[in-house]
Amino acid sequence: MNIALLLLAGFAILLLILLVAVLREPERHGKPENDLAFLEESGRSHATYLRQVQQAMAAEDFEFLAARGSRELSKRTRKERRKIVLEYLYCLRNNFLKLWRLARVISTMSPKVGVGQEFARLRLGLIFFLHYELLRIKFRFGFAPLPELGLLSEVVSRLAVRLETAMRELGERAAQAAKLASTLDGRRLDSR
Amino acid sequence: MSSMPLYLQSTWACSILGQLIVLILLLLKGNFRRVPLFTAYTTLNICQAGFILLLYLIPGISSANFLTLSWASEFVTLIAQALATTEILRITLKPYPGIWGLGWRALASTSVLVVIVVELTSRGHTAGERLFELNRGYHLTFATAVIACLLLVRYYSIRVPIAYKRILGGFCLNSCVEVLIYTFIQAFFHKDFDLHQVRWEFLTTLSFVAALAIWVVAVWKPFPAEDRQIAWLSDSEYQRLSPEIDEQLRRVNEKLLRLWKLEARPN
Repeated sequence: MNIALLLLAGFAILLLILLVAVLREPERHGKPENDLAFLEESGRSHATYLRQVQQAMAAEDFEFLAARGSRELSKRTRKERRKIVLEYLYCLRNNFLKLWRLARVISTMSPKVGVGQEFARLRLGLIFFLHYELLRIKFRFGFAPLPELGLLSEVVSRLAVRLETAMRELGERAAQAAKLASTLDGRRLDSR
Repeated sequence: MSSMPLYLQSTWACSILGQLIVLILLLLKGNFRRVPLFTAYTTLNICQAGFILLLYLIPGISSANFLTLSWASEFVTLIAQALATTEILRITLKPYPGIWGLGWRALASTSVLVVIVVELTSRGHTAGERLFELNRGYHLTFATAVIACLLLVRYYSIRVPIAYKRILGGFCLNSCVEVLIYTFIQAFFHKDFDLHQVRWEFLTTLSFVAALAIWVVAVWKPFPAEDRQIAWLSDSEYQRLSPEIDEQLRRVNEKLLRLWKLEARPN
């Protein structure tokens, strides 16, 4: 069996796997309206715990514990606090996901979509998730550069505010459309 | 016809029966109004089966003529298949003109790409082999383009009615299996390729029967009425909101990258 045929067969099998994956019912968000409901959930929970998370991983705490308590205690605390930071990272990821999904909802609601823009966003999302996973591994295995977490959190907080503004605009737009739908025929509504 | 092995005759009969059931269900449930091109495709398939049967019954028809005519009829049904699939994708994405715009671009670009790859990998020596390779190339292009479109639909969380999913799934399954069957036959029985045409015909008919079974389930009930109403955004709103969100996403990503690039230090 030569390489070309092997590749063809492999590609066909890959297509079959993709077909099954693509036709499977989505677990959480099959409908666009569910996306909106998901977006309406509060996205600021991470901001509430920012100070605590920063404090949780402050180097002074561990130094203090190591000096006054035992090494064992310091180790255990670090382990527990690392868990908290991982949870925190997970929240940041959720915030990114919400915003990413919002962008997709906006695209589905738009009559004209920029190919380049959509592709760039997809690429951005993939890069983000790659970095996120690498960072998660880094934290999990104990290589934790933490001062930047504050910055990251700040950015996500700003995102949450933007998200709320965008959502409000979308809500207003939807209400307007519903109002118009009751008085105008669908065709005129579509032509807006 | 008598030269055809019994097992092939049986699968062929099953295939015709399946096509008739699909067509009758489409007509009885009124689904033909929603998917006229898919109905036309099913009808054409039945006509093709009748045409090939007729060719078998003509006494003294040369093998070359038989092959040319049967491949010509196959060409027509393959075109109908592409049109029927585009129709279903169009129905699914009709309420989302922006995404449909992306969808047909994805269809076109993926198709061109796969056609180029197929052309580069084709090595048929005889006319028969070339025709088989052309057929495989078509199925590969078709399946890739449809799956690319379905991936796009999934990415944008667009709901596809289950009946349409099944129809598209049937088409893709058949195409992928055809590619696999032909590739394996070509790989393992290359020297006696012509001798294995009956085997190829049997296996591909079998995969088509599987697709028909999926379609019977798909058209069993009337298709759902289109009730999606979308609160449209204007183009300017998309132009304003989308880059804004992209910029924010980019910043989060940059921060994450900076976080990653910081010197790693063991705890």
